[in-house]
Amino acid sequence: MKWHCKVANGNISTNDIVTELLDFIAQASVSEEDFNRLALKIFTHQFELNRPFQKYCQGRGKTPRMVKTWRDIPAVPINAFKDLTLSCVEPDQCERVFMTSGTTRHDVKGRHHHPTLAVYDASMLKNFSAHFMSQDKSIRMGILFPTEEMMPNSSLAHYLGLAIKHFGSSNSAYYIDQNGLQFDLLCSVLRQAQSSSEPIALLGATYSYVHLMDELEARALTFKLPQGSRLLDTGGFKGQSREIPMSLFYDQLSQKLGVDPSQCINMYGMTELSTQFYDRGNQSVPSIKRGPHWIKSRLVDPLSGQDVTPGERGILVHTDLANFNSVVSILTEDVGVALGDGFLLLGRAEGAQAKGCSMAVDEFLKTAQ
Amino acid sequence: MITPSVFKAGYLPGLQDHEVEWQRHTVGAPHSPMEVDLPVLSHEQMSALAQRVQAASTAHLKTMTVSDIVHVLEKVTSRLLDSQDPYRIELEHLLPKATGFDAEMVRLNLTSYLQTFRGLQLHRFVAQDFNNPKILDEFQPRIQGGWSKALGPDLMVHIWAGNVPALPMWSFIAALLVKSGSIGKISRAEPVFASLLARLLAEVEPQWAHCFSVVWWPSEHTKEQSLLSQAEVVLAYGGNEALNDIKTSIPVTTRFLAHGHKLSFSMISKTALSVQKGHHVARQAALDVVRYEQQGCYSPQMIYVERGASVAPKDFAELLLHELINLEHKFSPRELSLHETTQIAKWRDSHELIALNSNSHSILGNASSKSTVIFSEKPLPLSAGPLNRNVLVVAVDDLKEVIAMISSQRNYLQTVGLAASPEELFKLGECLGQQGVTRICALGSMTSPEAGWHHDGRFSLLDLVRMVDIDASTEREAERFTSYEI
Repeated sequence: MKWHCKVANGNISTNDIVTELLDFIAQASVSEEDFNRLALKIFTHQFELNRPFQKYCQGRGKTPRMVKTWRDIPAVPINAFKDLTLSCVEPDQCERVFMTSGTTRHDVKGRHHHPTLAVYDASMLKNFSAHFMSQDKSIRMGILFPTEEMMPNSSLAHYLGLAIKHFGSSNSAYYIDQNGLQFDLLCSVLRQAQSSSEPIALLGATYSYVHLMDELEARALTFKLPQGSRLLDTGGFKGQSREIPMSLFYDQLSQKLGVDPSQCINMYGMTELSTQFYDRGNQSVPSIKRGPHWIKSRLVDPLSGQDVTPGERGILVHTDLANFNSVVSILTEDVGVALGDGFLLLGRAEGAQAKGCSMAVDEFLKTAQ
Repeated sequence: MITPSVFKAGYLPGLQDHEVEWQRHTVGAPHSPMEVDLPVLSHEQMSALAQRVQAASTAHLKTMTVSDIVHVLEKVTSRLLDSQDPYRIELEHLLPKATGFDAEMVRLNLTSYLQTFRGLQLHRFVAQDFNNPKILDEFQPRIQGGWSKALGPDLMVHIWAGNVPALPMWSFIAALLVKSGSIGKISRAEPVFASLLARLLAEVEPQWAHCFSVVWWPSEHTKEQSLLSQAEVVLAYGGNEALNDIKTSIPVTTRFLAHGHKLSFSMISKTALSVQKGHHVARQAALDVVRYEQQGCYSPQMIYVERGASVAPKDFAELLLHELINLEHKFSPRELSLHETTQIAKWRDSHELIALNSNSHSILGNASSKSTVIFSEKPLPLSAGPLNRNVLVVAVDDLKEVIAMISSQRNYLQTVGLAASPEELFKLGECLGQQGVTRICALGSMTSPEAGWHHDGRFSLLDLVRMVDIDASTEREAERFTSYEI
């Protein structure tokens, strides 16, 4: 592979990092020191090889000499994936680039360059196996999202492709084509699943489920899928469907498909990350999201970048070691609050609702579109 | 006046508290929240209230002369200007709590604001729109023949915003001056001022007790308010989306006066930037930014600075930041919500990303200061920022270049704070006016419009009334119908 040849200014090469990371991910658990050590190593690597990131860090006085713990690594706002090339390896030498769907600034897409997908894949597979597959080696899957061939720059398409390839039994299939959801086919599959004892897993974008439920409502259909069936949704509505409060969403989903909300798993992932978070079902919402040992999250005040007082709402910062080529710490636009061994996701930090007649930036962007 | 721990908002003549459903809300800064009970009236209650207000205004307002109305309002204003008056004390206590604005800032701005509602200013306010104010009292002869009278609406509905404390006073007083009954809907963000003003008005002139009311409903229910179809005039402040909702819910025969979101900015000529004058100019510009945390439609979001003076644009930006930091001590910044801080962080980050790739862009201010000045040597079109003491300073070779930079915002332009020589004033004023700007003022005065200003380029009183003409022919013909023979 091309990226193999690339050696850093210092003595850390990209493939050393990849090897170390794969080993790190494969371990059952790691200590805080182990995490810290590898985080700083990756940070140093990125600082040395990524000029825009270097300038960003220097602007904040956060060079590898100053940064002593993973918490101090400057978190790059996700918007920077739109404006800067955040890659240690030349973009044209990367195996894949994932792009954001661009819901906020529709003309500019964030780009996440992956010199190799080995790390992304290892991260996804181990985490998915632990949080979605529970004890099962494979399950019949129905994917409510386009294939990787249809959307080569979608990280979700790749993610679902991995799921079906590694964990889907032979009768698994995609139920979306160029014309959207294949309702007739899907309904007959659900009907057949219902009458068999073989559990089925549906996986897809949150808004695809809304379309599915609307169609089931229109056809006056409900299903009772076999024990062990489960659902995975991700990404929210993104303006692709009507918006429903999340508690209602899972209630309706459970009603229409006969899958208990505890078996409705929501995955929280981002194009700008290489690792995902999962909850343990959605009996009550919002549910706690947890990540594996190679990602750590903080809740910060977005202006100072400092951690908020425990228990207070803040903006999520993720330090994802699997982001070895882009930036290891990202500042999201998601509001969260720490709880137990994870965090609750409380939605997106939209611009403050303008209270009166001074136009604020978000309103401005809306009118400018 | 004793202030209970929960502020009961609204003014509902003819309704007892126990007859009304109250909704409790928490407003103000997270560290010192304030609880407010807001009234939720049923359709029947609202409709009956509207009828009472209409009837009372016919009986008690329409029968007064404008001068008498001004006399009453004068008394009200003088009470609000009296630091010992219980209403004033309560306003000074509650407004900072409800809005989160610095108490001293509220006190000073309230005083200068109220000064525009004193007797002399009110007379001028009326004269601004009516050459002959008596036309509001009785038919006045027209020079060309015939007679005219200006009639205020029987019922006017106001939908107020909560961005700037005491904002409802403009339209509330305007309605009274044209003898209109009023029902005003307060914003949850600032429920205090209009409620107290209504109570004080009724105390000073008991005859007016039923001539107005202050109500509330959740904004998302605006469309369902049958009240909107009972009004002759609906005046509303708010975002364009909210205004559109209102527009589509009122009958086509109702006059709709909308004050939507606006963009304001400042321009500083090189003539104002000598070494001696620079500091003062920066101070005034900083005051415009700090007052009400840029929440007003008249607050500057960007400042265009002309090159060629001894104080270069970048130096000015530094001076401005210095003044903004100084003012943080005098007027402490409002505590911000997570949404607001995120918006500011996003704005700063986006400029930081530009600065990474461009030497002409810089971010002044540090993490410890609450104010940020972003400076650009390159021309940038007018755009909105995240408010709350964040301002973009842009250098230009000639102020005339600014005209092209604001043209895309034509529908949103309002105030320009201008520091320029008398020779430049009218040249720039002409160009700015043609672009859609409706008010030009001195730096330091942006947040204090004068009495009788043309808010968003419109007439405060004239837009409320309808004229009744008695044509000359009527008078001529009437002569034929005298009871006595000629």
